[in-house]
Amino acid sequence: MSRTHPPRTAVITGIGVVAPNGTGAEAFWKATQSGLSVLDRVTREGCQELPLWVAGEVHGFEAGASIEERYVVQTDRFSHFALAAADLALSDARFGRSEWESDPYSVGVVTAAGSGGGEFGQRELQRLWGQGPRFVGPYQSIAWFYAASTGQISIRHGFKGPCGVVASDEAGGLDAFAHAVRAIRQGSAAVLAGATEAPLAPYSIACQLGYEDLSARKEPDRAYRPFTSDACGFAPAEGGAMFVVEDEAAARRRGAPVRASLLGHAATFTGARQWERSADGLTHAIREALAEAGCAPEEIDVVFADALGTPAADAAEARAIAKALGRRGRTVPVTAPKTGTGRAYCAASVLDTAAAVLAMEHGLVPPTPNVFDVCHDLDVVTGTARPAELRTALVLSRGLMGSNSALVVRKAPADPSA
Amino acid sequence: MSDRLTLEELAALMKSGAGITVDPAELASRPDARFDEYGLDSLGLLGIVGELENRRGRSLPTDADRCQTPREFLDLVNNSLMTGA
Repeated sequence: MSRTHPPRTAVITGIGVVAPNGTGAEAFWKATQSGLSVLDRVTREGCQELPLWVAGEVHGFEAGASIEERYVVQTDRFSHFALAAADLALSDARFGRSEWESDPYSVGVVTAAGSGGGEFGQRELQRLWGQGPRFVGPYQSIAWFYAASTGQISIRHGFKGPCGVVASDEAGGLDAFAHAVRAIRQGSAAVLAGATEAPLAPYSIACQLGYEDLSARKEPDRAYRPFTSDACGFAPAEGGAMFVVEDEAAARRRGAPVRASLLGHAATFTGARQWERSADGLTHAIREALAEAGCAPEEIDVVFADALGTPAADAAEARAIAKALGRRGRTVPVTAPKTGTGRAYCAASVLDTAAAVLAMEHGLVPPTPNVFDVCHDLDVVTGTARPAELRTALVLSRGLMGSNSALVVRKAPADPSA
Repeated sequence: MSDRLTLEELAALMKSGAGITVDPAELASRPDARFDEYGLDSLGLLGIVGELENRRGRSLPTDADRCQTPREFLDLVNNSLMTGA
């Protein structure tokens, strides 16, 4: 390809959230800025005997209320979340069928997923061992698969552009944005991008019990307290978010609400459970993301931290922020609203990105629930939201298996042509 | 012949196996419409074949899941059930 056009800017025009603290961007922001913690004891059927006590569950989500029964029957809960979040994002962006039906190849889908369809898979495996192979339904072949949500979103809406699935650990949530940006730069008009997870089913929880960084605490307000001397691991969560990412010029032409630009991203890998090494990896990711964004450390107005919640991981992240941002690292407000909802694996950094965009729009840094006594040299926002002029946010994510990613997001300026 | 597959049972299987709601009367009035027009994909039909085999306790012809329409499927299944009886 020999395109000679000026580089295209990828912007967020729609946000769809299905999170433990609210469905829809508005409800999610209301809970997030208030510092409400919805972490609670696990109530999901079949999970109460397992030694994981505290998690962020999405309550009251009725898949059938927003998606057709065939998708409810044929897909797992993580895809239900993705399909519902995609609908919310499309409607938030006012990106209806008339916007793309003349060119369905101009719209793509990219999601990240870590757990896949564990609940669906468990049900079918129980049929396999309980009744025999003839009782396993054929939708098992696609529903458990971590690629299911991308496929089902593209099928349901008829999006035929570049589609992909990122399997790169928790940091994959941010990497999904990078893929979307690449597709936009290569000529796509829009990409549905994001991540959802549903890891709170017995089989999926059993898979997580081997993670030494998983919190074993039983008290919901003490289970996930990163950056404190009480840090004892993380509480998992379900849910996630989908976004409409568009070429800025195309979005402005159709009068879409341009909310934020995806300016820079970088990813590194430093090995599983090597938190010491993640300091270097994350530092490098931040520097590269800033370089791509053409952004100086002083321009970062807020950091949405990965906040894994163990002393070694937290220390490594604090070192990375200090090293990559220099003096700005000591003064920049740092927040981790996920301490109120839990860590939804790939979807955690995607929810952080939603919170970052909303924070910039509202001029408020949301607080870090359940965290009061910070023991690192970071200005962690605790207690209540902090008013601030926010133009540029840095979102950080690390995975238990060693991926580190950084994303720079900038609040969209008012429409220059308006 | 209670073993015969009826449009009512087929409609119920489409609902339980694939989440497709269809009125048996519609299947009766458009028996040659393709399954995909009803929203049933190949995995959905494969699931219906498996469930029928479990219910009837016998195998259906190997090409049962390749039938394109309700009429074709009913004919094939019911012929097979009769000859296999």
